[in-house]
Amino acid sequence: MSRVPLPPVDAVVKNTACEYCSVGCGYKTYTWPLGREGGLAAEENAIGRDFPLGGGGGWPSALMHNVVRVDGELRNVLVLPDPDATVVNPGGDHSVRGGGLASRLYNPDSPTRDRLTQPQVRINGELVAIGWDAAIDIVAEVSAHVIATRGPLAWGMKRPSYGGHENAYVQTKLAWKAIGSPNHAAHHAPAAGDDAPGLTDAGIDAFSACYADDKAADVLLIVGTEPYENKTVRFVDWMAAGGATMIHIDPRTTFTSNFAKKNGGMHLPVQIGTDVALLGAIARYIIEQGWHDADFVRDYTADPSQIALEGSWRKRRFGLSYSQLVTELTSEVAFSLDGASQVTGIPVADIIRCAELLSGPLEPNAPRKKVCIYFEKGIMWSHNHEGTGALANLALLLGSVGRPGRAISRLGGHQRGGQTAGGYPLSASPHSFEGHNVPMDQDRWTVAGNTHFMWVIGTNWIGCSSGSGVLRDKLVSMTQASPHQPTSTNTAAIIATLKARVDAGGMVMVNQELYANETTALCDLVLPASGWGERTFARHNAERRLRLYERFCDPPGEAREDWVIVADVARRMGFEGFDWPDGNAVLEEAAEASRGKRLDFSTLVIGAQVKGLTSYELLRSYGTTGIQTPVDLLDGQLVSTERLHADLKFKGDSGKANFVKTSWTVVEQRYNALAPRGDQLWVTNMRVNHLWNNLSDSLRRPDAVARWPANCLQLNPEDAQRLGIASGDQLRIENSSLIDHLGNTRTGSFEAVAYVTDEVPPGLTCAYFLYPGSMPNSVVPADTTLQANNLRYNCKLGRGSITRLGRSPLADTMPFIPRNIV
Amino acid sequence: MAKRFSRRQFLKFSAVGLGSTMLVQCADYDPSVGPTELKPGDVVPCARTWVSQLQDLVVGQPVDFGYPLPTLPAFAVKLGEPAAGGIGPDGDVVAFSYLCTHMGCPILGGYNHEHKILGPCRCHFTTFSMRHRGQVVLGQATADLPQITLEVEGDDVLATGITGVIFGELSQRCSPAAGGTSA
Repeated sequence: MSRVPLPPVDAVVKNTACEYCSVGCGYKTYTWPLGREGGLAAEENAIGRDFPLGGGGGWPSALMHNVVRVDGELRNVLVLPDPDATVVNPGGDHSVRGGGLASRLYNPDSPTRDRLTQPQVRINGELVAIGWDAAIDIVAEVSAHVIATRGPLAWGMKRPSYGGHENAYVQTKLAWKAIGSPNHAAHHAPAAGDDAPGLTDAGIDAFSACYADDKAADVLLIVGTEPYENKTVRFVDWMAAGGATMIHIDPRTTFTSNFAKKNGGMHLPVQIGTDVALLGAIARYIIEQGWHDADFVRDYTADPSQIALEGSWRKRRFGLSYSQLVTELTSEVAFSLDGASQVTGIPVADIIRCAELLSGPLEPNAPRKKVCIYFEKGIMWSHNHEGTGALANLALLLGSVGRPGRAISRLGGHQRGGQTAGGYPLSASPHSFEGHNVPMDQDRWTVAGNTHFMWVIGTNWIGCSSGSGVLRDKLVSMTQASPHQPTSTNTAAIIATLKARVDAGGMVMVNQELYANETTALCDLVLPASGWGERTFARHNAERRLRLYERFCDPPGEAREDWVIVADVARRMGFEGFDWPDGNAVLEEAAEASRGKRLDFSTLVIGAQVKGLTSYELLRSYGTTGIQTPVDLLDGQLVSTERLHADLKFKGDSGKANFVKTSWTVVEQRYNALAPRGDQLWVTNMRVNHLWNNLSDSLRRPDAVARWPANCLQLNPEDAQRLGIASGDQLRIENSSLIDHLGNTRTGSFEAVAYVTDEVPPGLTCAYFLYPGSMPNSVVPADTTLQANNLRYNCKLGRGSITRLGRSPLADTMPFIPRNIV
Repeated sequence: MAKRFSRRQFLKFSAVGLGSTMLVQCADYDPSVGPTELKPGDVVPCARTWVSQLQDLVVGQPVDFGYPLPTLPAFAVKLGEPAAGGIGPDGDVVAFSYLCTHMGCPILGGYNHEHKILGPCRCHFTTFSMRHRGQVVLGQATADLPQITLEVEGDDVLATGITGVIFGELSQRCSPAAGGTSA
């Protein structure tokens, strides 16, 4: 019988935070030699708790233990939610994801045995091992050839924006500053740029709140996100713990919806894609009733003349004063109670009750309710600009910004570890809106055949792209279908062949990863990267809390840090300024680039120097508590910034915030173009708490695989009955009117197992968003000109016809129990 | 490959600076190089303990008892539909620990018969499936809810062992006083 050993008192203890969601819980790692363990009494083990443990934090479940190598020697390791944490996850709370972090560590006796451990090149169609020297030579030489013969726009990079500041900084320093290519996008989007453009246009930072605001608020307005599934600890320990009244706006009836209803709040099951009408109607009703915060609006929002003088074309184009907002809201029928009700499916009485809960009639001299507005992908992957703008408008009307219990913020997906080197070459982008350059849509550019080198780092590019199948077909045609394929391991011959492919109009792909995924299958070169726990790096969570994620075990084989690989290539290409001795030196250079921004940690470097420490050493001393950025230096002391906009100053030349144009008429045209046709249903996507992103870790932990052995498609019982579908049926979801990256009509499809549930309303289906081999993005339109001012996919707004293929072999073992029981 | 230490080797390790409590607890410590893995089928036999008369079990009404120690709250319930590990003529009688494997809160009174689940736990909202060996349906626990193995002897329902580890324990532990084996 296996059992979990306790760390002895002399175990090596390190600080880290969770690898997964934006909440960023604090963790401790304990490593010690095999064959030893600590005692049951608190003074006999490094956790400092008596065992058996009666309750609370500090219990190592089986998934929290593993065996790793440290400096080549086998060691026990526990990855334990910090039982002494006082911030983020007080007392050692954790989600199911973070609780299983130890299972992600490389151990050849576990399902992690297929980690990529050495550089490989594709010879005669098969990946074979080569040395790092040859691999770096190939990347550098082919890159230089592509840039020289086809220009920087033909050289692309797709990378995660959250892998730690060190990685993000070096990657962007090469791509933007050294090479000058706008062919660049983060993991989640086809283009660089803003994920919450409506907030930015209003002058509000998208991550201004802190978790304490969740507790201080009277009302939490939660829109287009399910925080219990994927912001779990924040939901439990901050949102629910504070006792605020919750209002959940989401087409799906999730755990949070029912939790809100059960605890005095409400759920508004808005028709998918119509949030802008609902939010506009709530705002208009509040104004009509005189319930808005008139003092805040007067003092802190801009007048038309101030907006006209703004340097940002976006603010001039989309910015509104209060009186202009009133005109906008009253000029469209969709923002009236009846009009909005018709568009959104929400009864008028519920719109009124929502407005009342937010700011309703107050007794004379009673304080205004403190409202926090939180949102995520349901808004950002729908009508991105108008949705985030409508939320910003509501926040400004309610004074929900910059003060305790009054904030508007994204809840975030991943953590924030993406300090770039700055200088995205916007002027080189081929894409524009009304004469203004916008960041390049890399996928559109690639599907048009213009990308000839692509360096895909730490993401499944194909699965993350809307119209996934279209992108895959194009990549196949430009890589594997090319007649120019290396046939020997001779480095010079490989380089010559790949250059010939580029000359013939083909493409060379490099994939830097932990595990092979469907993008890897098309790559010419595979570079093994080290991951969380195997490298030291710095990263922020969703309340801008900066912490050191310490290395506590060895990377497998020849795997290297992402930034080290990129810097090697940059030097080989002859670029200067890529010689860092270690990650600390990178972080200290990146600190300069962070100055004046949300994540400003430039003073950390100064603070460290004053103490005679490196930045890593100083950050390590802050443990799992870390320090919240921007970090101020006051009287020689580093001071956290709890929340942004506390001075009620906003981004823009006037320092005032402004309302944002969010016309329903504009949204409606897009909505109509995307809406299901004939027998199609909406196909949206979700997160579930056992799974993390593209499942590179989840598929290698036993509980997650047992819980989600396949992707599911949630269907309402009404639709299921009409289509003759039962839970456990294997389904094919096909969109034969898929709008691709270039505006052409194509067909896309994926398969999933039916999960009949009232979590989705009639007409709407929902699948996990990034399940390998079952990508809902296959039926999502890929034409970003639909949102021309900010090139983002409408990932939540897929459509498809459902066909029953038969009974799934998983039908009898996969649970189809409702997940929204409160 | 997994290395298995002999008892003698282990005692030698234990003697080097480890507390005396270890000697009892770790008698079969196996420092395998794989991660700790508890397979759903791993059952540790414990004291055979009377739970109920089979005929007295009413569909949907849990019967509480202490197991695998008398102080640890557990329950048996007739689900009314077949379940993994279910016993009785309909294969629908199952028993589980009440202690949430997330942070140890007892989910007393938390059986939801409509959906055959235990939970959500009042502390952090984890829900477990009674039809799927205590699998987490939604929530934060990293381990299934320990299932108690049952046997029918005549008309008696007896608890005979346990799968998984109760919250707070490091291994499956039974009550020696009740005649169970210590693992």
